[in-house]
Amino acid sequence: MNSFQYVTAGSPEEAISLVGKNGRYLAGGIDLLGMMKDYIVTPDVLVNVKDVKMAQPEGNAIRLNGQAYELGALVTVAEIAAHEELKKALPGLVEAASEVGSPQIRNVASLAGNLLQHSRCWYYRQPDIVCLKRGGSTCYGQEGENKYLSLFSGCACISPIVSNLATVFAALNAQVNVREDAQTSLYSIHKFYQEAWENPAAHNSLKPQNFILNVSVPTTRARSAYRQQSEKREFDWALVSCAAAGNVTGGRITDARVALGAVAPVPYVVEEANQFLEGKELTAANAAKAADIILRDAKPLAHNGYKVPLAHALIRRALLALNS
Amino acid sequence: MSGWPDPSAVLGKPTERIDGPVKVTGQAKYTYDVQPDGWLYGMILRSKWPAAKVTKIDLSKALAMPGVKAAVLAGGEQRQVSYYGQELAAVAATTKQACLDALRAIEVEADPLPFVVKEDDAMKPDAPSVFAGASNVKPLKSSEKGQVDQAFATAAAIAEGELRTPTQLHQPLETHGAVVAIQSGQMTAWSSTQGISSVQEGFAQALQLPQSNIRVICEYMGGGFGAKFGPGAHGLLAAQLARMAGAPVKVMLTRLEQGLAVGNRPSSIQKFKIAADSSGKLLSADITNHGSPGISGGGQSAGGGSGANIALPYVYKYPNARIQQFSIAMNTGASSAFRAPGHPPASYGTESMMDELAVKMGMDPLEFRLLNSANPLHQREFKVGGERFGWAEKYKKPGSSPGPIKTGIGCACGNWGGGGKGTKAEVQINPDGTVEVRCGTQDLGTGSRTMVAMVAAEALGLTPQQITVKIGDTNLPPSGGSGGSSTTASVAPAIWNACENALAALQQQTGTPDARGENWAAACKKLVVTPLTAQGEWQPGLSNSGTGGVNFAEVEVDTDTGYIRLKKIVAVHDCGLIVNPLATTSQINGGIIFGIGYALYEERVMDHQTGLLLSTNFDTYKISNIADMPDIEVILLDMPERGVIGIGEPAVIPSAGAIANAVANAIGVRVHSLPITPAKVLAALGKVPNMTKV
Amino acid sequence: MSESSRPPETTVNRRTFLKGLGTSAVAVASAQAGAMADEIGKMAGPGPQGPGAVPVVLNINGKNTSFQIEPRVTLLDALRNYGPLTGAKEVCDRATCGACSVLVDGKLVYSCMKLAIDAQGTKITTIEGLAQNGQLTKVQEAFVECDALMCGFCTPGMVLATTALLASNPKPTMDEIKRGCSGNLCRCGTYPHVIKAALKASGQSVTDNITVLKYERVA
Repeated sequence: MNSFQYVTAGSPEEAISLVGKNGRYLAGGIDLLGMMKDYIVTPDVLVNVKDVKMAQPEGNAIRLNGQAYELGALVTVAEIAAHEELKKALPGLVEAASEVGSPQIRNVASLAGNLLQHSRCWYYRQPDIVCLKRGGSTCYGQEGENKYLSLFSGCACISPIVSNLATVFAALNAQVNVREDAQTSLYSIHKFYQEAWENPAAHNSLKPQNFILNVSVPTTRARSAYRQQSEKREFDWALVSCAAAGNVTGGRITDARVALGAVAPVPYVVEEANQFLEGKELTAANAAKAADIILRDAKPLAHNGYKVPLAHALIRRALLALNS
Repeated sequence: MSGWPDPSAVLGKPTERIDGPVKVTGQAKYTYDVQPDGWLYGMILRSKWPAAKVTKIDLSKALAMPGVKAAVLAGGEQRQVSYYGQELAAVAATTKQACLDALRAIEVEADPLPFVVKEDDAMKPDAPSVFAGASNVKPLKSSEKGQVDQAFATAAAIAEGELRTPTQLHQPLETHGAVVAIQSGQMTAWSSTQGISSVQEGFAQALQLPQSNIRVICEYMGGGFGAKFGPGAHGLLAAQLARMAGAPVKVMLTRLEQGLAVGNRPSSIQKFKIAADSSGKLLSADITNHGSPGISGGGQSAGGGSGANIALPYVYKYPNARIQQFSIAMNTGASSAFRAPGHPPASYGTESMMDELAVKMGMDPLEFRLLNSANPLHQREFKVGGERFGWAEKYKKPGSSPGPIKTGIGCACGNWGGGGKGTKAEVQINPDGTVEVRCGTQDLGTGSRTMVAMVAAEALGLTPQQITVKIGDTNLPPSGGSGGSSTTASVAPAIWNACENALAALQQQTGTPDARGENWAAACKKLVVTPLTAQGEWQPGLSNSGTGGVNFAEVEVDTDTGYIRLKKIVAVHDCGLIVNPLATTSQINGGIIFGIGYALYEERVMDHQTGLLLSTNFDTYKISNIADMPDIEVILLDMPERGVIGIGEPAVIPSAGAIANAVANAIGVRVHSLPITPAKVLAALGKVPNMTKV
Repeated sequence: MSESSRPPETTVNRRTFLKGLGTSAVAVASAQAGAMADEIGKMAGPGPQGPGAVPVVLNINGKNTSFQIEPRVTLLDALRNYGPLTGAKEVCDRATCGACSVLVDGKLVYSCMKLAIDAQGTKITTIEGLAQNGQLTKVQEAFVECDALMCGFCTPGMVLATTALLASNPKPTMDEIKRGCSGNLCRCGTYPHVIKAALKASGQSVTDNITVLKYERVA
């Protein structure tokens, strides 16, 4: 790691002021410290935000506010995975949180950190390679070892998003409350990651100085499910993940939303598929048709073509899981 | 019959490790933990090029940085580097942070050269030459017997296939490393090693010091699996740094470095054409293997050391056989001995083809093996294991299990030599009845420390807990390295001999006819104030070589996702007299877990564009996790009459073949390379349009 | 594609590589620190610390221990290289293996991925803090009895993971044990016996899956 200063902030304003132009916020540190050890990011100051006092909800609170759960930015992934109310109201969210990393990681990883984590593409993370995303001129994944990389992208970078929570938030239509300098903005998941779709250097649409306050997750979709497949049973990045959410009455689905993870730089949502599902019977055939629509524009590379049938299977499973 | 007592009081009984308590409390000190007074941190600068002509290495800025006490070159300033990770220089400083800063201040200039890091690329006629002017493909030993092609013409069934195994990394949890302290020509080195003597010899030669001036210590070490012999580049650099700094220097490698430059298991590309006659007996074989040991030339030794040779033909005999092996040079780290060198890939390839041929013959694969195995140990193990596993009830024709989650079973065997000799030991009996046994062997986690205590306890009529065991120090009587599964066979007879000598001396000196058991305290008291010391060495008649082992595996394959879930493994092994069934089972569990990783997860991944390593840590170089564990049953065939042998390597051989066969049996098609990933399963099932050759 | 026609774009450019000097980063940081200290009013903590060594006090195994370390020193590094506690092991240094596991306020965490300065105000328990007065805990005893250790390098982390699991789930199922220990890797092969040890330590029955058969001499 490079040398840096360490300071603790008491409020979002202080944090933003302290982080300056080249600093970073430190919550769990699982992603940040690892990158610093490989000199992928080299902040001159780390601002500890674990003691930041925030207005309703508090940084580490999970609370129901009308028709949405508000999760503070500092809530840990373990707290989400263990939350009994969330298990009932937003089961897909709890399933997604349960699959993050290992017990040690879930214990310290913050909600905000999980959303902001950088690409896990092994070209990006290799300390001695400066890939396109890191400011170089080549995406080595295109012609190289791309078995873990994207099926879809809006730019020349094909590293996929790896945040389980982002994927399920996309299906649940969550919003992220972000403090930018003096004002607060609400980001849809689409807007939160849009920059990563278009700009090879970006992991999300925020600047490092932007301060996430909380995530608001509507409870209007009573059913949700998250399914992922990894090579190992635990503690392994998803090859593909799928989150599905909606309302099911009499075997028919409304307000359907399906999002794929680990196949694009953003949680991949195809509105046409959501519209197709509206009012349809939630059968294997309709789930398969939705999957066909979602995967229609997939551009498999030499080694990641398996992600297409895998995603197809996970979409079917996640959707059919909404029946119960 | 062997010279061990029958019945025995201690040998053969499940015994807790005597070093268990210090390990579970964090008190055991490994090389990584050793901290002599004034010690410095040492780190290595490595080549970031896969091939280059280095023209300048400037250490001056690094030497000027705060906390830096030494900086040395690893080889000359102007030199060729031939793989990513090759050592260029090293620094020693007061903290890890100072070392990291110093490394980044070293200026290196180099002219990159062409390189190749993939077997298929290296074999192309226009591939860059790894060794100037020479072909990257070097023929190794080949053999031919009988009339191979004529026999094929008369065969009842022929099976052909190409099977590949990747480069596998040892990945012991404790990285390679050493702590070296040099003062006035006297050197003490703590080394994470499988062979303290090999480290001592290596240092003596490289540093031009008398061997007697060098003491190597390794009381506890965190795994070796074949790669930790000799001082290593890290040890020699630590010594250079220690000399320059005038202080002890600790160089422990990082996990990234473990993937670059400390050895690996060579890859293999095995092409089989095998045939059986109408009665199902193996008739003819034409087998070719191309393997890569990276930058090392590859040896001629079959099955030992670090060459690309694998043990072909494996186990089963063919009256007609043509075997050809080739070594492929690449700009990647040299291979080294790795737990049963040459056997796991050969077992995987051979046993995969045995199933293919059995299926072509319409025969049950287990019956096919019993028909063709000339090894009486395997005959027993296949039968015992097959019964316990429920093979006959479970076996279904390939792919016939109903989906989408299909079940399948497979089996495979392995054999190994082992055996040992040439160890010396010393025993000290104190007047208060306590006993200390000394031997310069190592315990890599195998339980050899406890084995020493058990043998001594058996000889002296005591319990293992009453024996103090001193190992891992070249000041102690010499033993060989812990490799080749030779430790028990080398050490146990020496301990036995030393204890027999000590007991005889005690009885003679104190006039006690039998000093064991209830007479012990009184007899020892008669020594008054002078401890009794006796020596011993390895004797014939107590150890042996030649072991077998089989695995049966049951899997579930999700044909929608390609995910493989291991349900059950039954392992049957023999290793002569089983000293400690508890530790032996742990070794077999360990071998199975290694085999699971080899079969399903592990692969060293290089990038052909940059020549660099992509699988840099455990998230990308995937070893088995506790959650991947199937139900494991272990059956040990105890053969005390054979004497002690060894289990470390036999344990790791048959698992990958059994699992691969189980997967092929489940889905009805075969994935032809390890690791068998969900991606490959989906491709084999025809679900991936742009991946048809799997 | 010919490899030689396209030089690898790595942090090495065609002929040279020169890493950023640590000293210049320090100089920049010091200048910034001064400027920031002037601007900031009320602070949650004692103001920006470092980048050089600063006093850090950690509560480890019930004892307050003082260090003088840079902010970039991890908790693992502090325990091992600035303190005498080498029980937590450095194996991967990237939160992938669990050998560095400690308890922070009772929660199992990777000490390699926590800055020491960031652990102030917490209660840290290392492997050395489990056994009291030389008396092994139930988990430690079970590990020894069930042979859940081999080389022992993963063992401190495994023991802590098992301890943390049983503290929150006193009678875990086998699947729960696997999940609770899923953040800890072992290369020697202790997993099956770790599962047994966890079952035993939690007072649950353990099936023996080892059979020893005596055979006569092979001819």
